[in-house]
Amino acid sequence: MENDKNSQKIVDYIGNFARKHSLFVLAYGTGCGAIEIPATMTSRYDAERFGIRGAATPRQADVLLITGYLSTKTLKRVIRVYEQMQEPKYVIGFGSCTVNGGMYYDSYNTINGLDQYIPVDVYINGCMPRPEAVISGFVKLQELIMAGKANNGEKYRENLEHYRSNQKKIIKNWKMPDYNW
Amino acid sequence: MTDLVKENILLNAVTSAFKIEGKVIRDRRVEVHADKNTVSSILLFAKKQLGYIHMNHMTCIDWIEQGEFELVYTIYHPVDKLTLFVKTRIDREIPVMENIDTIWDHANTYEREMREMFGIEFPGLVGEHDFILEDWDQIPPMRKEFDTHKYAAETFYTRPGREDAKDVREELSKRSGTVVPDFAKKYSRE
Amino acid sequence: MEDLGLKIFGAILTTIMAFTVGMTYGGIVRKLTARVQNRYGPPVYQNFLDLLKLQSKKTNIAHGFMGHMAPVWIIIAAVTVLMFIPILNGNLWFPNLSFHGDLIFLLYMMVFGSLGMALGAGQTGNPNSAIGVTRGLSQMVGYEIPFVLALVALMIQFQTTSVQDLTQVQHETGVWNAFANPFAFLAALLASLGMFRYSPFDIVGAPAELASGPVSEFGGKYLGTMMSGGAVFAFIKLTLYVHLFFGGAGNPDDSGILATLAGIGILLVKTFLLYMIPVFYGWINPRYRTEQAIRYFWGWPTALGIVGVLWAVFFN
Repeated sequence: MENDKNSQKIVDYIGNFARKHSLFVLAYGTGCGAIEIPATMTSRYDAERFGIRGAATPRQADVLLITGYLSTKTLKRVIRVYEQMQEPKYVIGFGSCTVNGGMYYDSYNTINGLDQYIPVDVYINGCMPRPEAVISGFVKLQELIMAGKANNGEKYRENLEHYRSNQKKIIKNWKMPDYNW
Repeated sequence: MTDLVKENILLNAVTSAFKIEGKVIRDRRVEVHADKNTVSSILLFAKKQLGYIHMNHMTCIDWIEQGEFELVYTIYHPVDKLTLFVKTRIDREIPVMENIDTIWDHANTYEREMREMFGIEFPGLVGEHDFILEDWDQIPPMRKEFDTHKYAAETFYTRPGREDAKDVREELSKRSGTVVPDFAKKYSRE
Repeated sequence: MEDLGLKIFGAILTTIMAFTVGMTYGGIVRKLTARVQNRYGPPVYQNFLDLLKLQSKKTNIAHGFMGHMAPVWIIIAAVTVLMFIPILNGNLWFPNLSFHGDLIFLLYMMVFGSLGMALGAGQTGNPNSAIGVTRGLSQMVGYEIPFVLALVALMIQFQTTSVQDLTQVQHETGVWNAFANPFAFLAALLASLGMFRYSPFDIVGAPAELASGPVSEFGGKYLGTMMSGGAVFAFIKLTLYVHLFFGGAGNPDDSGILATLAGIGILLVKTFLLYMIPVFYGWINPRYRTEQAIRYFWGWPTALGIVGVLWAVFFN
């Protein structure tokens, strides 16, 4: 984390080093991209050598990996999941669908551009991104963490109204608590 | 090429019993065109008498120019390996169709989807109104008068850089020299 | 009073050693598992990084008093039990309280951590936690029976309940209890499969079906503290087994630096080899269901435990 003076203390370096090398991933398998995650985690590409391992629940997770398109119905769940995660938390948008809607850009039910609704640290483009691309996205995230620039959890809290208004534009029947983390 | 014996027997059995039109599409595929009121009788007849015990699929096509919805019931005979299509048309303004989930339970799923996506009412259909969509307040989205592109542009954020997305229909007409029909022009992107 | 100072120093040293060894074993297991699956695997110190990261997490959710207390409870139970385990046989550096605790007391105390976890998980209100706790307690009922039978066999055979005395007997006679009462040893060994919760007995935290079970609502510092407690508990169980069945470690007549280091070395080798048994068994086995696990423990392990008791009664 960066402090007010845009510089890092030694404590931050140590913390960032640990965060960088220990990323617990909550793979939110929304779309077809979920099929790439087993390939990334298992023997051929072995993401665990970077300290990337799966987390079972949002409470334990550091990284929310959105694999593919998000319909407005799943966006609601993603927001719940994201807000339950503990800071510092990161989001990786995976595949063209999260970048700009991909092949579903004119669909009535899928969002275009994930970063309007929750802050995204790293986008991995491609349809589908192969496991190499996924790992390179994680390495990019690790660089951001080490540089102290991956503090989107704070950003989300500070700009909550902006994100909430965008979310409520899509999710018309807002039955969730306004602040649920 | 086979001589389509089984197919013709099936076609005769159905058409003579209900005095309806039909044809053999190709081997193992037979279609009949029925009135909307006789559809359930045909399906029941096919299931009980002819052994078409499995319903493969049930779908809807929006014929916006003719003001009709076409409903297609696809049923299957697992022994004869024959597929029978029962097609019917219903009025687009009053989209009401008989509920057949008493014949096949899983028709319920298809009917709920059609109710949501096309706005077809099935009297007596049990199930939540929200099936795939959630909190939908527009006209049913699979109807052809629903402009998905306009809706998506208004509702969702469009990232710059998507302007080069072309209209498939117009691109194809330019490439092959065919003319875009009048009814399609109002959906044009330009 | 310098005796007291030495004791406190020894206690702190014991705790640090137990924590480090437990965490490192976890890391080695992760590495070995990766190699078995034809992967490169994380570094051996990965667990320490995970712990550091978990402890540096910022926000944490409160789920009420027991939610706060559960990790603390676990680590308190772990350190308390650790104090009553003889680390090295008769060594003056790690005396702790091992002369005062006996097996029955240890059996009681070792359940304490799980109990704290159960209470904490209950308060989070997550249904997965409730199912996980139910499964964990059921499994505990399963493996405790052969384990207790094995310990009872040892107690009858040597007419003592003290871990210290059992180790001393092995040291004097030169025969490990694993050979003095092989049936009790086998029963305890099979019970240890359930104790370490590797496959096929990882029904408590089953990530794919229960979302890590009791800990599903615990993140950040809570999870990190639980991890530390679990590492210490792993060391405790291994050391207890080594002292009960494998002749212990250390020379009671010599407490010099070299002899102590040699004793620690022997302890590490023995515990590591013992730890590999449930891990090896886990690599080749998928997960059991709860009733299958209990049936497993109440089958051959319990039968072997009863035979061990009979052996102790009749062939002593």
